[in-house]
Amino acid sequence: MKPARFDYYDPRSLEEALELLQKHQADSKILAGGQSLMPLLNMRLARPKVIVDINRIDGLNSVKSWNGGISIGARVNQRALEREKQVAERLPILREAAQHIGHPQIRSRGTVCGSLAHADPAAELPALALALDAEFVATGPKGARTIPSDSFFVSYFTTSLEPNEILTEVRFPGSPKGMAWSFLEISRRHGDFALAGVVAGLAVDPGRRSITGARLVCFGVGPTPVRVKEAEEALIGQPAGEKSFHAAAEIVSRGVDPDNDVHASADYRRSVAGTLVRRALLQVWQKLGGK
Amino acid sequence: MATTRAIKLRVNGADYEGTAEARKTLVDFLREDLGLCGTNIGCEHGVCGACTILMNGETVRSCLMLAVQAEGAELMTVEGLAKATGELHPIQEAYREKHGLQCGFCTPGFLMTTYELLQKNPDATVDEMKEWLSGHLCRCTGYQDILESVKLAASRLRGE
Amino acid sequence: MKIEGRYLFQGTVQQVWDLLTDPRALQHCTPGCKKLEAVGNDEYRATLEIGVGPIRGSYEGKICMTEKEAPRRYKLLVEGSAAVGFVRGEGILTFQEQEGGETVIIVNGDATVGGLVAGVGQRLVEGVAKQTMGQFFKCMQGQLAAHKSGGKTEI
Repeated sequence: MKPARFDYYDPRSLEEALELLQKHQADSKILAGGQSLMPLLNMRLARPKVIVDINRIDGLNSVKSWNGGISIGARVNQRALEREKQVAERLPILREAAQHIGHPQIRSRGTVCGSLAHADPAAELPALALALDAEFVATGPKGARTIPSDSFFVSYFTTSLEPNEILTEVRFPGSPKGMAWSFLEISRRHGDFALAGVVAGLAVDPGRRSITGARLVCFGVGPTPVRVKEAEEALIGQPAGEKSFHAAAEIVSRGVDPDNDVHASADYRRSVAGTLVRRALLQVWQKLGGK
Repeated sequence: MATTRAIKLRVNGADYEGTAEARKTLVDFLREDLGLCGTNIGCEHGVCGACTILMNGETVRSCLMLAVQAEGAELMTVEGLAKATGELHPIQEAYREKHGLQCGFCTPGFLMTTYELLQKNPDATVDEMKEWLSGHLCRCTGYQDILESVKLAASRLRGE
Repeated sequence: MKIEGRYLFQGTVQQVWDLLTDPRALQHCTPGCKKLEAVGNDEYRATLEIGVGPIRGSYEGKICMTEKEAPRRYKLLVEGSAAVGFVRGEGILTFQEQEGGETVIIVNGDATVGGLVAGVGQRLVEGVAKQTMGQFFKCMQGQLAAHKSGGKTEI
């Protein structure tokens, strides 16, 4: 199929883009990389009356140091996560996870901010943003506001961005001291949408025995990425190892409420989420030097 | 606002011009307006890889771009591989020798990705080759011969 | 796909029945219901705009209440089709009076989604269905509370 008719604008400035959104509100959609929007347009699953293409806007395309971590502008593509030295140095988990985002051909156009604003429940970047406590800079006609990650993702393909706002920047703070990360996902083929996935973070005391910090975010198991705090709390103070990781995995399996679909049943997703948690924790533990 | 635009594209080193609605995808524009039918359309949602071309040296899905978005960029399609004389590019030659195609529908996409891969990573390992090619679906070959073609192309381009 | 749910209402079974068979309440609470026109015999023509985020479709179809056993049970049939696909669902709504003037509605049914939206959007269908149903009943619960505080006299 081909896209339905729309009015197309490619403004040269952010102000122009915001004016267009203010005028058209929910009748308009931002086009950045297009790797999520174009399939919807091509299949006519989305039929916005107005498309605001932000690719000709000056700026919005930098990767900068921020607060020990990095800030990523709206037009930055996903390949930047694999290419930028700052990412490799400060948040290597983003680089590791980026390989799972579609394929290289998707990542050359797809943007980091676009994937976040699209909020696909099975996408990798929303889960990473939640796990890493990212901040979202939403710019509207009255200026910019910052949205914390725990209130950004609302439901399937729904964020707390207003129709007249653009996600102009996402900021990932530096990883908490001593925390290492792991990323695992299960999909039928490499590059497919995840059936279930996990971002796991772990920090242990200098003696490398007891857990001082834990982060567990699952995706593909609900309308948004899910941070399983109960499982995190169960890990704190415990000795790192099979036993505590297994216990955390059980809590996750019980705690998530995935949907059934033709690709996988809810039960399968529940089970796989738990297994991935266990494996991801073991992987991080190994990264920290444990056995 | 006008939904129809004059569109100027630079493809395989040559300048082209056409007029189309803004909603026309790049792949449709290449095929229908510019007569460059080498690039194929498979799924129209980015998963099959048949529409893959190069934009400023990076592979992209031309079915997921609007033609207007490609203005100002250097595009390369499969038509840009062989010489004007008809002499095949070493990558095409390798695919021919190793039977890396049967019906040929997916092949232009595979060739463009092979091109970018070997440009940027001439010593790519087999795992890296598989990683790069994973964004392409082939219904005919079973992929093994495609992999052999890429290995041969790599070694030829290294001058071996 | 199976559709199941349990919803608690702060009202008697008669009050809840009246609400759940009132076309104005149905139109108000069905997410995206742009039009609900009675065509007789508990049958209504409806226009529903359903979707999540940017993915929306306008479905033309009908809603019927059949097999009514006031105030305990009825069967709801929903059908709609759009350019991008179709939706067909049927469910039995059972109303059970509880102690303390509360009523539970138990929903048990089946839905089929077909066409392009079901192919490309398969991963979302169940989630969106659950969400839509949740929104519907939440709105109904609110409507009941509003009706009651609006001071309908009871015998």
